[in-house]
Amino acid sequence: MSPDIIIDWLQASLRWGAPLILVAIGEVYSERSGVINMGIEGIMLFGALAGIAISFFTGNVLLATIGTMILGALFGLAVAFLTVSRKTNQVVTGLMVNLMALGGTNLLFALLSESRHVRVERYPLLFPESFSNIPILGPVLFRQPVSTWVALILPFIAAYILYRTDWGLNVRAVGENPQAAATAGLPVIKLKYQAVILSGLFAALGGCVLTLAEVGYFASGGMTAGRGFVVLAAVVVGGWDPLKTALVCLVFGAADAAQLRMQTAGSVIPYQFLQMLPYLITVIALAGVVGRSRPPKTWGAPYDPADI
Amino acid sequence: MTQNIEIAMRMEGITKRFPGVLANDRISLDCRKGEVLGLLGENGAGKTTLMNILYGLHQPDSGKIFIEGKEVKIESPAKAIELGIGMVHQHFKLVDTLTALENVILGIPSEHPMVLDLAPARKRFLSLCEEYDLYVDPTVETWRLSVGKQQWLEILKALYRDARLLVLDEPTAVLTPSEGEQLFKAIRKLTKEGRSVIFISHKFGEVLEITDRITVIRDGHVVGTVPTKEATYPELARMMVGRPVSMDRKPRPSATKIDPVLVMENVQANNDRGLPALKNINLTVKAGEIVGVAGVDGNGQLELAECIVGLRKRTGGSIRIQGHDVDRVMADPSFVGYIPADRQKVGLFLTLTVAENLVVKDYAKPPFTRRGVLRYQAIRQHANRLIKEYNIRTPSSEVQVVHLSGGNQQKVVVAREMSAQPPLVIASQATRGLDLGAVESVHNFLLKERNRGAAVLFISTELQEVMSLSDRIIVMFRGEIMGEMDGEAADINVIGQMMLGQVTEVVA
Amino acid sequence: MNNKKQRGYVSLPGIGDLALSGLRPLIGILLGLIAGAGLIALSGVNPLSAYVAMLKGAFGSPQAFANVLVRASPLLIGGVGVAIGIKAGLWNVGIEGYMYAGAIGAGMVGIAALPVAPIVHIILSFLAAIAFAVVWGLGPAYMKAYRGVNEVVATIMMNYVAIFFTSWMVHEPQPMAEPGSFFPMSRMIAPTAKLPILMKGTSLHPGFIIGLIACVVLYFVLRYTPFGFRTRMLGVNPVGSRYAGVNVRQQMLFVLLIGALMGGVSGAVEILGLKQRVYMDFVAGVGYESVAVALLAGGNPLGVIASALFFSALKAGGATMSIQTGVGGPMTVVIEALCVIFVIGVGYSERKRLERLDVAEKEDKEVEYDVA
Repeated sequence: MSPDIIIDWLQASLRWGAPLILVAIGEVYSERSGVINMGIEGIMLFGALAGIAISFFTGNVLLATIGTMILGALFGLAVAFLTVSRKTNQVVTGLMVNLMALGGTNLLFALLSESRHVRVERYPLLFPESFSNIPILGPVLFRQPVSTWVALILPFIAAYILYRTDWGLNVRAVGENPQAAATAGLPVIKLKYQAVILSGLFAALGGCVLTLAEVGYFASGGMTAGRGFVVLAAVVVGGWDPLKTALVCLVFGAADAAQLRMQTAGSVIPYQFLQMLPYLITVIALAGVVGRSRPPKTWGAPYDPADI
Repeated sequence: MTQNIEIAMRMEGITKRFPGVLANDRISLDCRKGEVLGLLGENGAGKTTLMNILYGLHQPDSGKIFIEGKEVKIESPAKAIELGIGMVHQHFKLVDTLTALENVILGIPSEHPMVLDLAPARKRFLSLCEEYDLYVDPTVETWRLSVGKQQWLEILKALYRDARLLVLDEPTAVLTPSEGEQLFKAIRKLTKEGRSVIFISHKFGEVLEITDRITVIRDGHVVGTVPTKEATYPELARMMVGRPVSMDRKPRPSATKIDPVLVMENVQANNDRGLPALKNINLTVKAGEIVGVAGVDGNGQLELAECIVGLRKRTGGSIRIQGHDVDRVMADPSFVGYIPADRQKVGLFLTLTVAENLVVKDYAKPPFTRRGVLRYQAIRQHANRLIKEYNIRTPSSEVQVVHLSGGNQQKVVVAREMSAQPPLVIASQATRGLDLGAVESVHNFLLKERNRGAAVLFISTELQEVMSLSDRIIVMFRGEIMGEMDGEAADINVIGQMMLGQVTEVVA
Repeated sequence: MNNKKQRGYVSLPGIGDLALSGLRPLIGILLGLIAGAGLIALSGVNPLSAYVAMLKGAFGSPQAFANVLVRASPLLIGGVGVAIGIKAGLWNVGIEGYMYAGAIGAGMVGIAALPVAPIVHIILSFLAAIAFAVVWGLGPAYMKAYRGVNEVVATIMMNYVAIFFTSWMVHEPQPMAEPGSFFPMSRMIAPTAKLPILMKGTSLHPGFIIGLIACVVLYFVLRYTPFGFRTRMLGVNPVGSRYAGVNVRQQMLFVLLIGALMGGVSGAVEILGLKQRVYMDFVAGVGYESVAVALLAGGNPLGVIASALFFSALKAGGATMSIQTGVGGPMTVVIEALCVIFVIGVGYSERKRLERLDVAEKEDKEVEYDVA
């Protein structure tokens, strides 16, 4: 394999990893607060469509990003209302959000048919073109859209917030032992809402980045292709830690990038088997950490303030 | 101190109703500044509900609360903390994975919310540790602390918030005798500073020792309040239970059989976190004897019971029941009867019916299954027989057990486990959360099993009942058996030392 | 909740808080339809006329209802496969993948020109479908039961793997592939392997009968066999099941494999009865809708019959609605999801309410041990 291919692969790994990282950051907060937001796949899908649509109509990627994040936060709010206030089963809620997103995006995309396969304005590069001429590092790190850089820096900020601020401490306490948190005077429900809304916001952002940084168009029929579930696995494999989870997301991104490269490079292995690779790696990675990865203690369980 | 008694807290006519039960019925009480008020009552009398109302965890249906003379409305724990109320729950409210210090500052808004600066908090915390002689390492994760240390931490947490009224709910339940002494010392220091303490308990001895006044609650209402100096044991017992009670050693016929039923050799096992919980346990329980297992909660008792009933994998050693390997006879009701501590988790299937719960070990055998088909008629008949025999109060055998009261749920477990008259009976914390009358009947029941010739392993953290019930007593500490003694001759001081892990000679 | 209970691992929530009863599902469905009406109105169509069109499309003629039954077939079979998982506290959301695997199995045998009677050919095709799907399901089932991998993620990941595997199978030069076709697909199944048409002028095949039988049989299994009893025990209390001597891992494996088997049959029915060819994406979300069907039924196999018919009527009617009013076809999927969300969201979950009652009664004083 020539160095060019490897450089190209590394660059693509970062780009494919970026949306996963963004989605994962939100999910880490949500799960740390005890709520598994299984709807991130669907919210990502809505985010992907919203990003394209707003960018197409306004021609402004910033506006598209902000609009998408607001939309995602609203979805997060809905999931929070159902799982926290109504105490619905978190798996069912998530799966139904995903089903709704699949139908909903197909429906909306058909309505916006003028924008079908129309490529839109995408995220600009963060660094001037000249940086890309630096050997190896240039193309890998600097020929990257703004979104990749955001995704690379954000995990550090997220980790800082989780471990070094009041709010982070509160969220961690709520997921571990909501009764104790409530007894210490914390607003448990409010904190859970905040964390779940964040997960919706970031899931939509991740979907938006998938389209506006990477592919540049929307394809109906579930174009996120299970990435939301890959993120759910990454959070478990990463042990609910923002930095480790981001690292796992990068590995998954690299697997995705690798299979695309190998397809075009004309490998002897049929390309369908390469396409399976990221999904198989996800399952194997999950199997590898079972028993070693300890979830927040009330992970997935509803919280009832009347239980003391 | 005649007329100017300062009232720290007063509750007036507190009433709280839960679906189907009146937990607090027009309760009025007060707590003076600088005193220890004992709140005495059986489990389920309504003490904890009352204190949860004081702490803002429940809202009363009616009634008033006054703090230092002013009427207040306590709508949340945050408000209670603001009013200077601190509470140490019976089941600690600590976040296991946070450090001791993080638990202490949890919920206190810091000066700079974006920078969690622990240094000043640590300083203040350590000075509190020193002041009250309750040392806890601030950097250690809470789950690593012993139960006693967790209790200290809860108290320090309240003091850190500058609690002027401290509620302690059954604080001694998890302490060794000497830790109890340390707690009492701290309580006396608190009251000397002018703080008030409400001490909730159902044990007379300690209430008589530490309190200034005692308010007795029964069935959700106040029976009366007496100054401790004038209170006597029989009088308190009568107030609390409504009839005289005895907790003396149970008389019994001497054992006739001596065959070993349970033989454990070099048994080792890990706890849920994968750390060694049982280290080389050697134990024999013979037919017709009750072996009591004493020890502070969390020293391997749960793992011991789970190994014997086959719920937990051993990492070494062997367990034989009447000569059979335990792995062979697991779940066979004709070998082991298990009365678990957490009946809802282990013993019951809440949304299955009473009849179904009574056959979860035998459903696949005749007469319950014939030709591969479940015979509900036989299952119902079996259920109706046991319902009658064990006096289970249920509208019918087809009711889901979740609808039964706690005591009747317990009876479903007992009926299932004991109806085959197993040679080995494991009772793990079987009296936890039951009231005195029920405790008494559990004791009588186990004694009857013993007299029938069953080998009984009785695990309890309540020293009193272990001593009153056991023929032999073993003490567990950090997964090891520290010693064994005859039930008749057991000395509470020796046991107390062993519970702390000391096997050295005891100062008489 | 005390500290002890929280120690150790919390697994994904199971059937416990799904227990439905009384009118709640109906109210939920009604709210789902109302919410759907709102969305239809948003897209500029009178919801009433849309729903009337939908009703006509589903029940307007025998042909229309035949169409409903055709669409119900995979939902009945797949739905009951998910339902038995729910009863055991397992989220078997891999139906989509099992359907592909089953379709490939059925296709391989069905395409071959065998010198046997049609009934034999059909049975052989089904057996191949079952074998393929069960083998396919072994992977995630083993991962869940013996390695403790989260079954939701594992089975969904395998769905994507199945899609790509199918894509490979129907591409040349694989023997199944139709030579020279523009769109990659398998060859047509042999006439002897095709399920008979029950009503002239429609595609009504006996798939829905297979589905109805599957629902009734699994209902009987769950209620009247030791295997079913163990399954329900597992769903209610896994720890207690282990204590009572249930081989929990093996039970999980079997229950997940039954789901796989059902998925395989469902895929075979689609291929042998309707599509007659295997191609990538032929399932198109039916596997996920099966999950919705099972959820709406609360995991009850007989309930699956009602909810599968409801969803297929929605879909069949949705096609007519789409043609007559211009509301997009995917709207029905959105309405399906809304219905389930409202059903689970309408009531305070039953189990929780019962536990509350239980907590209150613990303060009840009639605890005693007077054993005869």
